[in-house]
Amino acid sequence: MESSRAHVLVCAGAACVSSGCREIRDAVVNKIVEQGLQDEVKVIETGCIGSCDLGPLALIYPEGVLYQKLTPQDAEEIVLEHLLKGRVVDRLLYKEPVTAKAIPSLKEIDFFKNQVKIVLRNCGVINPQNIDEYIARDGYFALAKALTSMTRDEVIDEVIKSGLRGRGGGGFPTGIKWKFAAQSPGEIKYVVCNADEGDPGAFMDRSVLEGDPHSVIEAMAIAAYAIGAQQGYIYIRAEYPLAIERLTWAIGQAREYKFLGKNILDTEFSFDLDIRIGAGAFVCGEETALMFSIEGKRGEPRPRPPFPAVKGLFNAPTLLNNVETYANIPAIIMSGAAWYAQYGTEKSRGTKVFALAGAVNNTGLVEVPMGTPLGDIVFNVGGGIKNNKKYKAAQLGGPSGGCIPIQHLNVPVDYDSITELGAIVGSGGLIVADEDTCMVDFARFFLDFIQEESCGKCPPCRIGTKRMLEILKRIAHGEGKLEDIDSLVELATRIKDAALCGLGQTAPNPVLSTLRFFKHEYIEHIVDKHCRAGVCSSLFDAPCQNACPTDQNAWGYVTLISEGKFKEAIALIKEANPFPAVLGRVCYHPCETKCRRAQVDESVAICSLKRFASDVDMAAYPAYRPPVAKPNNIKVAVIGAGPAGLSAAYFLAMKGYLPTVFESLPVAGGMLAVGIPDYRLPRDILNTEIKAITDMGVEIKLNTRFGKDITSKDLFTDGYRAILLATGAHQGQKLGIPGEDSKGVADGVTFLRSANLNEIVKLEGKIVVIGGGNVAVDAARAALRLGAEEVSVLYRRERDDMPAYTEEIDEAEHEGVKIYTLVAPNKIVAKNGRVTGVECTRMSLGQFDKSGRRSPQPITGSDFVVEADMVIAAVGQSPDLSYLNGDGVKVTKSNTVDVDLRTLAAEQEGFYAAGDNVRGPASVVEAVADGKNAAMAIDAYLGGDGLVPNAFRDELVKTVVTYDETEYQKERKRADMPHLPLAKRFRNFNEVVLGYQGAAAAIEEAKRCLHCYLREEETPVEEEQQEV
Amino acid sequence: MTTENTCNCAEMQEEELYPQLDEVIAQHRGKPEDLIMVLHKAQGIFGYLPKKVQERVAEGLKVSLNEVYGVITFYNFFSTVPQGRHSVKVCLGTACYVRGSQEILGKAQKELGIEVGGTTDDRRYSLDVVRCIGACGLAPAMLIDDDVYGRVKSTNLVNIIEKYE
Repeated sequence: MESSRAHVLVCAGAACVSSGCREIRDAVVNKIVEQGLQDEVKVIETGCIGSCDLGPLALIYPEGVLYQKLTPQDAEEIVLEHLLKGRVVDRLLYKEPVTAKAIPSLKEIDFFKNQVKIVLRNCGVINPQNIDEYIARDGYFALAKALTSMTRDEVIDEVIKSGLRGRGGGGFPTGIKWKFAAQSPGEIKYVVCNADEGDPGAFMDRSVLEGDPHSVIEAMAIAAYAIGAQQGYIYIRAEYPLAIERLTWAIGQAREYKFLGKNILDTEFSFDLDIRIGAGAFVCGEETALMFSIEGKRGEPRPRPPFPAVKGLFNAPTLLNNVETYANIPAIIMSGAAWYAQYGTEKSRGTKVFALAGAVNNTGLVEVPMGTPLGDIVFNVGGGIKNNKKYKAAQLGGPSGGCIPIQHLNVPVDYDSITELGAIVGSGGLIVADEDTCMVDFARFFLDFIQEESCGKCPPCRIGTKRMLEILKRIAHGEGKLEDIDSLVELATRIKDAALCGLGQTAPNPVLSTLRFFKHEYIEHIVDKHCRAGVCSSLFDAPCQNACPTDQNAWGYVTLISEGKFKEAIALIKEANPFPAVLGRVCYHPCETKCRRAQVDESVAICSLKRFASDVDMAAYPAYRPPVAKPNNIKVAVIGAGPAGLSAAYFLAMKGYLPTVFESLPVAGGMLAVGIPDYRLPRDILNTEIKAITDMGVEIKLNTRFGKDITSKDLFTDGYRAILLATGAHQGQKLGIPGEDSKGVADGVTFLRSANLNEIVKLEGKIVVIGGGNVAVDAARAALRLGAEEVSVLYRRERDDMPAYTEEIDEAEHEGVKIYTLVAPNKIVAKNGRVTGVECTRMSLGQFDKSGRRSPQPITGSDFVVEADMVIAAVGQSPDLSYLNGDGVKVTKSNTVDVDLRTLAAEQEGFYAAGDNVRGPASVVEAVADGKNAAMAIDAYLGGDGLVPNAFRDELVKTVVTYDETEYQKERKRADMPHLPLAKRFRNFNEVVLGYQGAAAAIEEAKRCLHCYLREEETPVEEEQQEV
Repeated sequence: MTTENTCNCAEMQEEELYPQLDEVIAQHRGKPEDLIMVLHKAQGIFGYLPKKVQERVAEGLKVSLNEVYGVITFYNFFSTVPQGRHSVKVCLGTACYVRGSQEILGKAQKELGIEVGGTTDDRRYSLDVVRCIGACGLAPAMLIDDDVYGRVKSTNLVNIIEKYE
């Protein structure tokens, strides 16, 4: 390289080229010339730097500063500030996704920090179009070393000892393959490079060819020397025009420098290379098919043996490796087998390049030592899941591979461990799927691909996969039968055994793999006609409704609100949900998580709109009352007046029953009344909705404890025909540490109950809350309002892992609550029996647990004491089922009522259960859904139809709105509800989140809906012709 | 586009291209193993591979017409029907699929009014799907002629397509 003061490396990988890096390079060059710096600063186009998601990229040396997402306008600042004045341009630096901290140096960015680059050693470092730069990085030295100081056997031996295995997917030991090809008799032999990188989701070979083409050329020359070949071919797919261009150029340069051609480096050895371009056939990645294609024929595979090493291209012995395998060779020959073998695991040596894509924050190419845990790749290098969604699975190995679910994030990524889990390392495509991916549809996607790409030569692959695809399509359309799962497995097994080539033999893998880990999703599609991911659109009207546990028709009321039809909206809402004003305030709104609008800008504020509709209704006179069927005079007892019990009573009343709710507390509402503080859910709002329920004929008997004041026997004698247990989970769990019984230690639910019932009116001093859930955050914010001087929350994992709703955590911090993460309590420190503090240990995060979160591990010697005048332990709640004495109802091991989760019926006839005492502590919306489902189950049990009222849907699904939709489909910010200013929250329980100010704001927001329910005529699953 | 000015100029222009084809064939005469390379070049000249081109290639490379046809229909890249001036290809690789390319494809079909594999009446666009163009980091991706578009949204799709006259 010429000596320059600074180098600007502009990434010119295909991804950056498509993001416009050339314009940026030109702009930088222009500015440099303008400033007269052209002799001091050199601008170089390099191959892929790896972090495609951040492109267009520029890397500035000697400092190693990385600038991301550049536009040509940024050139001026880079040149004037950085290159002229030596000041780093903060604005253009990479920002850490969680902390938003700007990181200047490439080496400090998580994405790069955890990588070891052997294959990609030159990518993004050198100008791929300049052979001198390759040579300056020891390029062609390995070839020289092999040719001048090693025998053929020594070269092969070195490759064998390195432990390198085929990176194309097979994982066959490379050195052994070389040995076979070398030992095969024959005058003429070939070396072939498989650059037909067809696996969707893998693009490392393309990056190597674009960023470091000489490494492959050098390796092929070494291989040719080792096996005794004179001619080589690189078979590259036509979809990679840039790679073809750079490779062609590189071969020309290599010839010019006499690294290719006759008597290379003045030795006896001669070798030349040609490029063959594929024509779009996936099967040509299979070695026998690939060789036919080089011969100009249809790329159909043939049975092996004979293997290519014996009889390959033009019937001569042929050595075939893929691009990544070759790219390792020069490094192995230069630095030795022992150096290479230090990386990786015993049976999988070296590094592997993965094409990380899908639902992760950092996508791109990553090279890590074999055996790196999958979770480290996804979360450390990949920066975790995009948009705070939940990891579902990583798909490895493309259409021949499989998926790895959340409970296996610790698996070391090496050939053998991954195979054990039913996936393959394959060519290194690593696609991360989040909760929005339906695993049935995912399997369908791969089979669709295989069907398209099956060459058709052998029937198991051609017809078998077609039959499998038909079954999957049926299941995705809600027309599947449970027997279909067995048929899929049987077909899969037969195809694996009988197909001719690797493509067919591995074709069923994605189905088998998803069935292994996600069978429940198949069953949900078949039995419940439900797609939890919201993908299989034949099963629902719109993703928002599909995501709601109560099956709330969100699209319907949003559309009605957008047209100003508020009365109709509340009627629709109340058909599915008795608590819109409550849920409009406290719901975690899974509907919004699935809202398609988020793909344009942000989700529609569905939950706020529900609150708006119900607030309008409550202010109206008369407020809306849902229609009630003719009374049937059948009495049903509901135990517990929480959201589950009251919802059940509401729906039973709607169906004409006479429900009575028995409540042990002096107030109705359960956790809504005694768990959630007033500033989130004002009591009068709750009471108005409860009044609407009693208006329908529901009787609530307060201060009546089931099992004590009244028993099941009494109820049945009294003519009640069924009993629903909906007693919630009101028992706080113990911390299980010494000193817990000291004075001043309370559990979270008890504390909130006392605060809500006005038993505690004032607090003083320092309050420490232990836990990370909603109870902990509610307790902290309530404590602050009750007068505490300082409130801290201690949580043993990281903030992102806190189960509390993010909005609530943010508000708590905003109000002054201090949140300390990675801290766990050891013991309560007390003086004279009264708490004075909490002794804590700092934690660090270790391996992934089954829930996909890293388990906290104590850091020895990190103990410290936090002062406290009161400690609130909010580490979980459980149901108190001690009342179930002699009723014959069973309790599960996890201390919940033992019911059939589909029907919510207990074994003991006439008993049902719903809500937290069935599922453990969950959300309000789930409790409401459970209450509704239990009511329908009871209805069916007592002779009714068991069907939820659904009067409006058929009309609504045809609604075409009257305003100009296209205007609202352009990018447009979501309207959030205003909040009470901080100053007005001091020492009071006034509601924090205020509703929309005026109807216009709500209507405008509702118009952002994309109306996913409007569908074009759906084509039924084709009756496909029987192929024989 | 109006239909009154239809002429057979397209075919006439095609006639003029045959000398170029003959030149290509001459470089590979009698080499059956170069068939795919020649077909690539021929399609580069004509935009597709009409029967007459197939016949000439067969004759020149000394392979049967049957074999030429077999190879053309085997590989996705080759087409025996004329294509639009611009090829719009939506990537349906796994990464793009996970990031919602199915929706992009649906929108493209709706906007262009053609199915996958179709060409618009004015021959301006052909629509196709591709299985991974290796731009997974920019998913969902789309290819128009040789230009790659990353992070395509259903809302900016029309703007991108319209740039191609």
